[in-house]
Amino acid sequence: MKRRLVSPLRGHSSAELGFSFSRRACTLLLACFLPASHSLARAAAPGEFFEKKIRPIFADNCQGCHNPELKTGGLDLSTPEGFANGSRSGPIVSGDNPENSRLLSVIGYEEKLKMPPRMKLSDPQIAALREWVMAGAPWPGAEVTSPATVAEQQAETEELLFTEDQRNFWAFQPVDDPAPPEVQTESWIQSPIDRFVLARLEQEGLAPASPADRPTLLRRATFDLTGLPPMEEEIARFVADDSPDAFDRVVTRLLGSPRYGERWGRHWLDVARYADSTGNDEDHRYPHAWRYRDYVIAAFNEDTPYDQFVREQIAGDLLPSGGPDGVNRRGIVATGFLALGPKALAQQDKDKMLYDVYDEQMDVVTKAFMGLTVTCARCHDHKFDPILTKDYYSLAGIFASTKSFRLPRTFVSKPWVTPLAPEEEYQRYLQHRDDIAAKKFEIVDMVSEHVERHNRRLVGKLAKYMLAARRVYHDGAVLGDLAVEERLDKDVLGRWVSYLSPQTDDTRLHLSDWQSAPEETLPEVALAYHAGFEELACEWRETMRRWRKAVKKAVKRKNMPPPDRPKFDAEEDPFFYDVNFSERGPFALSEEEQDAVIPPPTGAVVAGLRQELKLLEETLPREPDLASSVAEGDLVEQKVFIRGDHHNPGESVSRGFPTILGGRDEPPITESSGRLALAQWLTRDDHPLTARVMVNRIWHWHFGEGLVRSPNNFGKLGERPTHPALLDYLAERFVDGGWSIKKMHRLLMLSSTYRMSSEAAADSLGKDPENKLLTRFERRRLNVEAIRDGLLALDGSLDLEMGGTLQFGYGTDRENSNDRLSMNPEKVDRRLVYLPLRRANLPTLLNLFDFGDATTTTGKRSGTNVAPQALFMMNSDFVATRARNLARTLLDDGSTGNAQRLERAYLITLNRRAESYEIESGLAYLDRLGSEPAASMEDLDAWQSLCRVLMASNEFIYLE
Amino acid sequence: MLREAACGFGFLGLAGLLAEQSELYGASANPLAPRPPHFEPKAKRVIFLFMHGGPSSVDILDPKPRLFQDHGKPLPIKRPLAFDKKPPGPLMKPLWEFRPGGESGIPVSDLFPHVRDRADDLCVIRSMVGEGVDHGAALLQTFTGTSTFTRPSMGSWVLYGLGTDNQDLPGYIMIKPTLAHGGSLTWSSAFLPGAYQGTAVGHAGLKVEDVKDEPIEYLIQKGFTPEQQRYELEMLQAVNRRHAARRGHDPQLEARIQAFELAFRMQTVAPEAFEVGKESEATKKLYGLDEEVTSDFGWQCLLARRLAERGVRYIQCTHSYKWDQHTDLFEKHTKNAREVDKPIAGLLTDLKATGLLKDTLVIWMGEFGRTPVSQAGNGRDHNPYGYSIWMAGGGVKPGFLYGATDEIGYHSVEDRMHIHDFHATVLHLMGLDHKKLTYRYSGRDFRLTDVAGEVATKIMA
Repeated sequence: MKRRLVSPLRGHSSAELGFSFSRRACTLLLACFLPASHSLARAAAPGEFFEKKIRPIFADNCQGCHNPELKTGGLDLSTPEGFANGSRSGPIVSGDNPENSRLLSVIGYEEKLKMPPRMKLSDPQIAALREWVMAGAPWPGAEVTSPATVAEQQAETEELLFTEDQRNFWAFQPVDDPAPPEVQTESWIQSPIDRFVLARLEQEGLAPASPADRPTLLRRATFDLTGLPPMEEEIARFVADDSPDAFDRVVTRLLGSPRYGERWGRHWLDVARYADSTGNDEDHRYPHAWRYRDYVIAAFNEDTPYDQFVREQIAGDLLPSGGPDGVNRRGIVATGFLALGPKALAQQDKDKMLYDVYDEQMDVVTKAFMGLTVTCARCHDHKFDPILTKDYYSLAGIFASTKSFRLPRTFVSKPWVTPLAPEEEYQRYLQHRDDIAAKKFEIVDMVSEHVERHNRRLVGKLAKYMLAARRVYHDGAVLGDLAVEERLDKDVLGRWVSYLSPQTDDTRLHLSDWQSAPEETLPEVALAYHAGFEELACEWRETMRRWRKAVKKAVKRKNMPPPDRPKFDAEEDPFFYDVNFSERGPFALSEEEQDAVIPPPTGAVVAGLRQELKLLEETLPREPDLASSVAEGDLVEQKVFIRGDHHNPGESVSRGFPTILGGRDEPPITESSGRLALAQWLTRDDHPLTARVMVNRIWHWHFGEGLVRSPNNFGKLGERPTHPALLDYLAERFVDGGWSIKKMHRLLMLSSTYRMSSEAAADSLGKDPENKLLTRFERRRLNVEAIRDGLLALDGSLDLEMGGTLQFGYGTDRENSNDRLSMNPEKVDRRLVYLPLRRANLPTLLNLFDFGDATTTTGKRSGTNVAPQALFMMNSDFVATRARNLARTLLDDGSTGNAQRLERAYLITLNRRAESYEIESGLAYLDRLGSEPAASMEDLDAWQSLCRVLMASNEFIYLE
Repeated sequence: MLREAACGFGFLGLAGLLAEQSELYGASANPLAPRPPHFEPKAKRVIFLFMHGGPSSVDILDPKPRLFQDHGKPLPIKRPLAFDKKPPGPLMKPLWEFRPGGESGIPVSDLFPHVRDRADDLCVIRSMVGEGVDHGAALLQTFTGTSTFTRPSMGSWVLYGLGTDNQDLPGYIMIKPTLAHGGSLTWSSAFLPGAYQGTAVGHAGLKVEDVKDEPIEYLIQKGFTPEQQRYELEMLQAVNRRHAARRGHDPQLEARIQAFELAFRMQTVAPEAFEVGKESEATKKLYGLDEEVTSDFGWQCLLARRLAERGVRYIQCTHSYKWDQHTDLFEKHTKNAREVDKPIAGLLTDLKATGLLKDTLVIWMGEFGRTPVSQAGNGRDHNPYGYSIWMAGGGVKPGFLYGATDEIGYHSVEDRMHIHDFHATVLHLMGLDHKKLTYRYSGRDFRLTDVAGEVATKIMA
């Protein structure tokens, strides 16, 4: 039944009646674009027309003011009843004469009253409203629907939710366990994966590339597993090792190296969009982020089963601890995966901020573990993949029921941290810290009263002091006598004398008025100084009073660090600063001097308090370690936000997982956030995506491209697998092998496929230009970590200390201070993975070499070639230093000649023996640099130049 | 034996050879090669003058008589989401006199007397709307369209769409950009290829003195003489070419060989572009380089002109972080305006005189305006709901007023120009259709204007 909510509109005046002048910001911009439609309103589905076209217009543009609470102008546009009742001046739609409806004239900006006030609706929106009004303004929500009916309808429509194609999409099908196929050239097979690859090549009539030579293979495997070049002696050993398992032992050695976790942990940190600050608006530090990073590196080194790794990162805090104190330190730290994303802490629409954070967490979880882009469904059902808006909000409910903030609604919100200690211990620590703050405050409060009184007395005599001082330093009066005569403090006057006495080359501009004043105007000038000073002193007292009040409040509220004592900005008024705050400033008081101005009874009390404070400070326990993490929060009944607008909640949804993946068949989540259930659901052995996505990532990091070439997108717009059976085979082996990543490395690396040369066999290049059939090992540029760490390794400068933090301080920094920049990787010798990253200002080097932006999960980095990278190689101090150090090492070996030095240079930089023509041309080059007048270089310079040539060469930067 | 390495200065020949080869590999070799626009552009380049902090529109470009009448009265409307958490102060009248400028009579306040003299060049837009009430959100939206996600900046989109004319200079240069409120995210290329990100010349925390000797990182070779470096590069290229030849001339290897050629040319040619000191005394004076108060921004503006005339596509000068007057509006705005007024007017005068203004779009704006109500008695809070900016040159109507705020200057009510509309309009002026300028990432086509944006055709000359 459709009720017609229209009544005749009588005589509308142009006076301000009805709609109110609304200023409320309520648009979600994604929602504004509505193409015009001229048929739907009268078509078979008027309800749909209303929901798609009309309700969003009301929601986005009107309901900010015309809602049941505000009812501005008497109008409520959020319900059919409110709409039918109209505004204070009557109905807004005319049944008899819809063309003349008030609604249309107001939105058409045709009369004095114009709605919405901030912006005329777009033409398509106005057209849609007109069409709707002309069709009788049907409002389908007027029928009351019982929850039972909703459930029934849902069950009915489930089948209809997705198309056949969507339900049959490859990525959602169970993982198959295909047998490795038969091949003709059995001799090529070293690993089952070779069968899948070769069968395909044979099918296409192509041959695989020949095996890479030993040095190439070693360089490939070493960079691949550790991100560093092989050492001279490793090369020699491997080249000389004829045993059949020589390469096997190399792989074993590399997998056992701690450098492995640093390299592969860094790969995962790309996926986890890891950084050490919030980025976005204020870029606050995450001071504890490094613990998550160290956890990841350790997890790879220890070969933590991947399913456990996934569970820990989503719900580690909820997993049993196993330790005596019940604190699952590892698990808590692991949830840094959820906690360390970008956040807009100063966003003042706090609900928006929170839901942006949940969105960000969902984005990283769904892309990282499932290769699915779920967050497109925030505003509308996913356009390409079978992800419903309801699915989005079901998942959002899990994150909304999880705590990501300690103080979400403060001016600058504070992200959540968890102590890595029993809660009581942490509380004891906090209490102790609060006690110290309270004690300090007690002392300040007591002392400041007297100090202020003293200061006020001095300020009252400022002009007098200045004039007296001048009589001493200018007219030669005797200080002591004058002090008595003028009833001034002798010591203070002494300081005035030394402060005001002109200095040679006096640069104190703020004293020039005084120093250049003619004798007769001095009293006047002194008074001017006095007046300005007094005004500032008054303001400053007020500042300090406010500060004390804030400290008092903080001390009372507990758990809130008291604000720092304000510092007067010397630039604002140097005179005021000098006099009050500089060392030996005329009115400045040291602590002892302060004590001296306190009357004795109070002084004794203060001394006692100081003693107590000292004791408290001495007994303060060490602060328990903290971790950026999440925790279970209050359970939220999540609503669908219509068109993604949190101001516009629709129906409630239960917490759960995407429908297409069987999410609705799971037991309902009622007693908890559902994070743990999500973690367990994702790591079920039969999950169609988790294992596939991860083995594909591992393949991608080994071979430069995945079997699915869009590692973060297994959806419709992603790539299809080039070798679907192989992908499934690997996924099965992965799960069978206890989700061991190291086993997967061995499976892939000990294959002929991995050991192919980068030079394609004849024909292959033409027929397989993109290497989708795996005719060769893809040549690729080293990533920025391997370039930078690798160069540091070449000259022996790389510092291999592991773990810990290089980032100090909290919060953010003054705008435009250098502290806002990330630590410069050209100035530190630790591995790059350990350098803290400020998201808003990444180091130039990282931007230059395609690091990505660390704000969204990165599945695949690019490997560009641009001129600024070349400038880095040619001109940076960093590369110059590496080359010079290496040159020095080569030259320091006095036992050899230049030819042997060249051999060694090739071995260190390019990890292979030099060819004889390379030695020849190298020697000729050195000779030219030494002998030709335009160059005329010393030995060290010439060798530096030669080393830089090798470091900057394509051969160094391209891995084969 | 290597004959090419022995012949000394073989660079030009080599460059020619490589240029030919790169044609074989198509345009993909250089992501910055000039590309045709979607349609005839009105502007070829942008100079963006960013007033970080939020200059007060009602005190500069948007006079409101009602604020004089109702000075001291309470705000007559419900205050929208504000930055200030305290209740709003009363309406506060503009602290400066407005006077008509030029023949067009566009009113500009006494804060900007020099810019007012150029009023006939200005297209003033009084109806800007953004969403962020805090600086971070507002900057990110101003430059990238959104404050919620990391997205490519406007300059990156322009560079992606058009490439750049001068391959010896970066195509997108940020002069002394801010590190705060998004920092480099405001000139980032995000998911666009890294070649499209802005190149920073120093940052706002540095003095011109600290910046000018090495304006771009790695641009200057410090250890070797140019002759010595030439030897080295020839050797490097010989090594690289031999390596590539043995590998069937893989295009990516060739591209890197070319990148070194280009880098060497850049290093030779680019420093000259930054030598602001070579300008005539008269020109320096025009930009205020002779006075301490105007010398920093004057240097930025004059450098911007030098870069513009050398074909840099997108240039930003940054006055950071100055304009955030929650208190002391009168003193601080006075000081701020003095620092930029003369340099900006100088830039407009100079661009006009050299004919560059015709196809250079100059944009003056902050991340938002300030409220018509006072804050703390002598300041104003942030106002993204209706604020003023101006454009000049590059195909916009000169001496033109567009859009309007309500009677008190709080909300934009007429010809409202949301930041998405602003972006659509700037792209349009550059000959780009904002709906067609898309990039496929993470399974979706993205654009600067997301799903919104309307071109303000009324301001087109």
